[in-house]
Amino acid sequence: MTFNPLEQRGIPLDRQLRNWRELDVTPIDPDHADPYTRCRVITMNGIEVEAIMFSHQLARHCPDPDVKRQLAEVRYIEHQQQKAVNWLLPGVASVLETTIAYEQVAVDLTAWIARMEPDPYLTQAYQFGVLEDFDHLYRYANLYEMIEHRKADAIVEGLTEVMPGRPTKFHHRHPADNVRDPYAKDETNPLSKLHALTIMSAEQQTMNFYMNVGPQYMEPIARQLYQEIGLIEEEHVTHYESLVDPGETWWEQLVNHEYNECYLYYSFMEQESDPKVKAIWELHLNQELEHLHLACDLMRRHDGRDPESVLAPQLPNVLTFEPNKGYLRELLDTQIDLTTLGAGYVRDAHERFEKMQEQIHGGEAPPSERVMAQHQEMFGREYRIETEGEHPDPALREK
Amino acid sequence: MAETHTPQAGDDAAPDVDVVALLMRQHGDIRNLFDEVEAVSGDARQDAFRRLVRLLAVHETAEEEVVHPFVRRNVTGGDVVVDERLREERSAKETLSALDGLDTGDPKFMPQLLALRTEVQEHARAEERYEFIHIRRSADTAALASLAKGVKAAEAMAPTHPHPGTESATANVALGPVAALMDRTRDAVRRAMGRE
Repeated sequence: MTFNPLEQRGIPLDRQLRNWRELDVTPIDPDHADPYTRCRVITMNGIEVEAIMFSHQLARHCPDPDVKRQLAEVRYIEHQQQKAVNWLLPGVASVLETTIAYEQVAVDLTAWIARMEPDPYLTQAYQFGVLEDFDHLYRYANLYEMIEHRKADAIVEGLTEVMPGRPTKFHHRHPADNVRDPYAKDETNPLSKLHALTIMSAEQQTMNFYMNVGPQYMEPIARQLYQEIGLIEEEHVTHYESLVDPGETWWEQLVNHEYNECYLYYSFMEQESDPKVKAIWELHLNQELEHLHLACDLMRRHDGRDPESVLAPQLPNVLTFEPNKGYLRELLDTQIDLTTLGAGYVRDAHERFEKMQEQIHGGEAPPSERVMAQHQEMFGREYRIETEGEHPDPALREK
Repeated sequence: MAETHTPQAGDDAAPDVDVVALLMRQHGDIRNLFDEVEAVSGDARQDAFRRLVRLLAVHETAEEEVVHPFVRRNVTGGDVVVDERLREERSAKETLSALDGLDTGDPKFMPQLLALRTEVQEHARAEERYEFIHIRRSADTAALASLAKGVKAAEAMAPTHPHPGTESATANVALGPVAALMDRTRDAVRRAMGRE
């Protein structure tokens, strides 16, 4: 690929502000949109939310009023980008419908990144996490049919299978066991930094979403399931954020954020099937190129270093939403019984894990188990989409 | 992989003691039927469309007879909420009647169906967000259950799939004009609610 964001100029910052008419985007069709268009929207919303919150944190640590003003200017534009992106979601979609789309993002984004990640320790972190998102999709799909009589397949459209992953009840680990070892910023492949930032942002947005929408439900089982999975999202954010080298300076992190936004908007522009949405990806790419240049200038000025020294020489292969069914089935076959111990992975339920399990479950079935029992009672079966044959793990086939 | 079938509201094993939960599932049933009409063609489309029209008629009649009166009586500002819903319903009914005269194979059918689908979906979510929320707030368990009984009586008039063993029963024979179906539904609801 020849596209190098460092060599491109975008739209000058003073021409990036949009008026209300320009921000009033037409939402995607809840029943006919490409499921992966919805996934790209949800992903970019998470990326923009992280950009905004990171910039706020940086501003709070920044004593220079001129820099603070420049950060505020760029951040306001990032916020407009977040509005334009997230408002592509249709108002008629229910919270559960959007939740299932969030889990489709988590499954296919994490699986793709696990496939492409060059560092084996980081690959393992993504492989471990994706089997949990996969199980969340299955639990929410069953809740969705109970409450709305709708099938999750009307949302994922056969691109992603829906069946048990690592059972949700086993995701509740001692919080200390969620902290991984970071990559080394000066030795790692620059692509690994982009992967870690992308997955961390996506999981963080999922965490924010569940912590806020969960109590909108009145059905007790729905409220409880959002609480349970919401707490696992906290574990996932801990898991993924600890992969990032904390030795990166604030300016280096800012450059990585802006570079990653260029990478993702470019990737999504390349594969977008909806022309109106594609036009947004293209516009935002042209805004981000300028944000990247401003961030690079800050890094040169404050760190006295060249941004090229921490970035890839050219943009990596486009990040792609596509089915990962075979890959996921292989992981289901080999990694379902893993848990974490310290910064590593083990197959045995160790003492700290068992103590945590005992305390959080309090001797009762958790919501993720009860939702299945209640679904069974209502329909006399489970809800699954197994397009590629029966479940690879005989113990997890439907009885 | 065998196609998973979601039964119609009332045909699953839910206790149906909460009218709001029941109506939300029925909104899903309606959306499923729109999917089906779009997915099939020929006689199958004609058949799916007839079932959709019947379910819409019965569902809206039940809401007019059971849900809206409750909201008018028990919710402060309920008249405004209900009038707004009735306005949406009237608009959807106009779109529906334009569609009802068309053959499902007519090139104008699909664009009209999609327009109806959008109106129905927006109306359903508006009910869930701006009307049902008041019902759950102001109705006790007994009231929710009694309202549910009325809605169930209505939906028995429009099975989306024939009930096994009752294929020849009145509810499953050709139902005739929609207006007559709505009249019969209204009578059934009133009987069930004890206000004949």
